[in-house]
Amino acid sequence: MIYMVKIGLEIHCQLNTKSKLFCSCSTNISEKEPNSETCPVCLGFPGYKPVVNKKAIDFTIGIGIALGCTISNETFFSRKTYFYPDMSKNFQITQYEIPIATGGSIDIEGNKIRIRRVHLEEDPAKIVYANGDISTTEYTLIDYNRSGIPLAEIVTEPDIETPKEARKLLEKISAILEYLNVYDVSKEASLRVDANISSEGERVEIKNITGFENVEKALSYEVIRQKSMTRMKKVIERETRHFDETTRTTKGLRKKEYEEDYGYIFDPDLPSIRIDDAWINSIKDNLPELPDNKVKRFVGEYKISDYDAGVIAYTGKDMADFFEDCCKIYKRYDNISKWIINYLLKSLNWNSQKVSESKVKPNTFIELLEIMDNGEITERYAKELIKEYVDSGISPRALAKKNEFKVTDAELKKTVEGILKENEKALEDLKAGKENAKQYIIGLVLKATNNQANPKLIIKIMEELIH
Amino acid sequence: MKVGKLIHLKEFLEDAKNGNVDIGEFTAKVFSETKKIQEKFAPFITINDSIGELKKGRIFPLPISVKDCICTKGIKTTAGSKILDSYMPPFDATSVSKVKENGGFVLGKTAQDEFGFGTFSTNCAYSVPKNPYDRERSCGGSSGGAACITAAATFPHVAIAESTGGSITAPAAFTGTVGLTPTYGRISRYGLIDYSNSMDKIGVIGKEVFDAALLFSVISGYDPLDSTSSKVETKDFTRFIEKDIKGMKVGIPKEYFEGIDEKIAKNIMERAASLESLGAELVDISLPLTKFSLPSYYLIAMSEASTNLARYSGLRYGLQENVSGNFSEYFSDIREKGFGKEAKRRIMLGTYARAAGFREAYYIKALKVRQLIINEFKNAFGKVDVLLAPSMPITAPKFSEIENLTPLQIYNIDKLTTAPNMAGIPTISVPAGTVSGLPVGVQFMANYFDEEKLISVASAIQK
Ligand SMILES: [Zn+2]
Repeated sequence: MIYMVKIGLEIHCQLNTKSKLFCSCSTNISEKEPNSETCPVCLGFPGYKPVVNKKAIDFTIGIGIALGCTISNETFFSRKTYFYPDMSKNFQITQYEIPIATGGSIDIEGNKIRIRRVHLEEDPAKIVYANGDISTTEYTLIDYNRSGIPLAEIVTEPDIETPKEARKLLEKISAILEYLNVYDVSKEASLRVDANISSEGERVEIKNITGFENVEKALSYEVIRQKSMTRMKKVIERETRHFDETTRTTKGLRKKEYEEDYGYIFDPDLPSIRIDDAWINSIKDNLPELPDNKVKRFVGEYKISDYDAGVIAYTGKDMADFFEDCCKIYKRYDNISKWIINYLLKSLNWNSQKVSESKVKPNTFIELLEIMDNGEITERYAKELIKEYVDSGISPRALAKKNEFKVTDAELKKTVEGILKENEKALEDLKAGKENAKQYIIGLVLKATNNQANPKLIIKIMEELIH
Repeated sequence: MKVGKLIHLKEFLEDAKNGNVDIGEFTAKVFSETKKIQEKFAPFITINDSIGELKKGRIFPLPISVKDCICTKGIKTTAGSKILDSYMPPFDATSVSKVKENGGFVLGKTAQDEFGFGTFSTNCAYSVPKNPYDRERSCGGSSGGAACITAAATFPHVAIAESTGGSITAPAAFTGTVGLTPTYGRISRYGLIDYSNSMDKIGVIGKEVFDAALLFSVISGYDPLDSTSSKVETKDFTRFIEKDIKGMKVGIPKEYFEGIDEKIAKNIMERAASLESLGAELVDISLPLTKFSLPSYYLIAMSEASTNLARYSGLRYGLQENVSGNFSEYFSDIREKGFGKEAKRRIMLGTYARAAGFREAYYIKALKVRQLIINEFKNAFGKVDVLLAPSMPITAPKFSEIENLTPLQIYNIDKLTTAPNMAGIPTISVPAGTVSGLPVGVQFMANYFDEEKLISVASAIQK
């Protein structure tokens, strides 16, 4: 039996505008005392009126354009009513009938994932469970600092076929949002996902997952759970589930009515907004180059592979900029991309760093490639060195120099002599001028010296010894 | 029957400006009189006890009463509901700050139907205002307290009131006062506790047209804190008092006379005739959509109200109790105790009208009807300058009569005011004599932002 899975995502992105969506409170709430960044508007006091932050509309239009959507010429806000402790007014100001953007798509390795809509809404407050667990908590605390922060909600069609693909989509969207500079990529909670998944039975929704890895895990668990339910001939009911990060499982929260009933009305405090072509064009004209365009340009301009260009562009805007800065001072572009993708990224990931946050700079990184090119160090040694370089930011040449003095010339000569004696075959090949024999011996010497020798010097010694 | 005597504001303000009014003496008298009126007619929920330093502005030193649904800093504001019991707003509504900036002071907070839900000011959690013409009778609603103190005041005073579907016109007509309901968006709603935001309008009630025009001039104008506030510039509307109305076309919409008490209709037509004698031209006109305004008004109003009232859950302000049970149990308990019967009815009807499966048939359809009514008015104002109609189909009823009315019968009494209110066009209600000793009101309607025409025609009739 072929098992068809359909996954759709609702991605909530906290926009990094200076102030909240409908009041002048700051959106910079990290490390703020709970409920300190609030005012009567975001606390839902009677008599106060919302005034929309135009910047948030600009940002959402930008997201819509970047995801290939059509921007609505007229849009408005609605009230979505439900009683929940995180809602200051017990209704959320969101968009219902006509969102800011509709009908885009994103390509994930040839599979086209359609974007149904992008709309703007206010974030509810944050709920803190006394014991950290929604199902057993004795009481809950509410922090309204988050209340009213603008959220762009990106809704996909159920075109995603695997949990892994869901994760890839999220990574791609996150990179696009980062390029647009509309959200703070360093804050995990600034991207929250509701995932819906249906296979044999009804649609199941998993609410409020943070972290792309968790989305993949939650969906994978859900696929297995639904498969085994089907195998046991159990009916999969329409319901909302919650992902538990510690057990990596999903738990049922509530069975859902077929028709969600939020009793939407047009928000009568907020007149509809005309978005004319001039407005759309002004945003379009000021959009940064997006990752897909970068990939195309990198392939054309620097003749690197599609794959390399994709990895560099989607790692983040800072990495793409870093690559281009390197290309300005060093012309073997494919060597740059090779070393970024195979070695630099590994070291950065090890440190959980972005290149812009690290000590790595284009000139020192290129120095590493250059001293390799001119034989000051071997490629093998460079691979060792890069970790130290990423950690310290010290010039690779200086690092190599610092290291080479650990083995004196006399000691090194002795080591090389010894190794040549033990490897007669290699010695013969060396005399015959075979390059791989040379590399083989250098390898052995480096191993013997714990990489504390200068390869250039090793070659010099070898040449003296065989002549 | 004794109703508060007439004092011409213009002269009083002139006297005060020239230093001929002893402010201490004046305010002491105002408060002692207010207490007497309160005992007799109960127009206030709260009487202000500290007026502070008065600024020397255009309305210095005028006492202004404020309907209780409008926020006043440091003065209890309940919108007539138990659920906002002892609520102290941390700020002044824009209209109230404008009063203070211009030398006026807040006399107190006037009684009203809970959140504006009523036509008689009988759905009140606190005091029920009594009609100065007959204490057995209603002042009308929902701005009943505002009209009551205006009629009863023995000192210079103007009221800030509010109308969603006729809450200024009804009490003005029942108490023989002048009620001006401006164009939607002309007076900032910032600080107004919402009933139905797309129709809520702050307005004024005065003894004379001048009083209403004066306070309207002071508190109107664009306010960036209210997104629905209009940028159309405000002006000094007192300039349009008694302006020549020769050649003004006054439309008489026949639908507004159907089913009206004959004596009331006679009073109204006498006023029309007097306008004709002043050179106005009477034009018969038909507004066939009028009959659809009442149901669509109530659908929109209740839909919006049911979302506005969702926020009252006893958590951060207003009525609170010791927390027990879970969130749903706690807020249900608070709402059960805090809301009156009519509020609960409107929450249920409003929630129903916007629920999935019914939304299209009720809420959305009502909005479409509103658009048609707007078009009908626009069309009419292409032919006439103002429309003239009775303000209310009846005179002030006795409380004992109101008790026997069904909710639907009560809603029906709003049939002459719902259309202009839902369209958001300005109206003014002016006294038009009495029937059996009770005041009758005549209302004029005008096109958007044509308040000056209302003031001219209303002052002409007043003369
Ligand atoms: Zn705020």
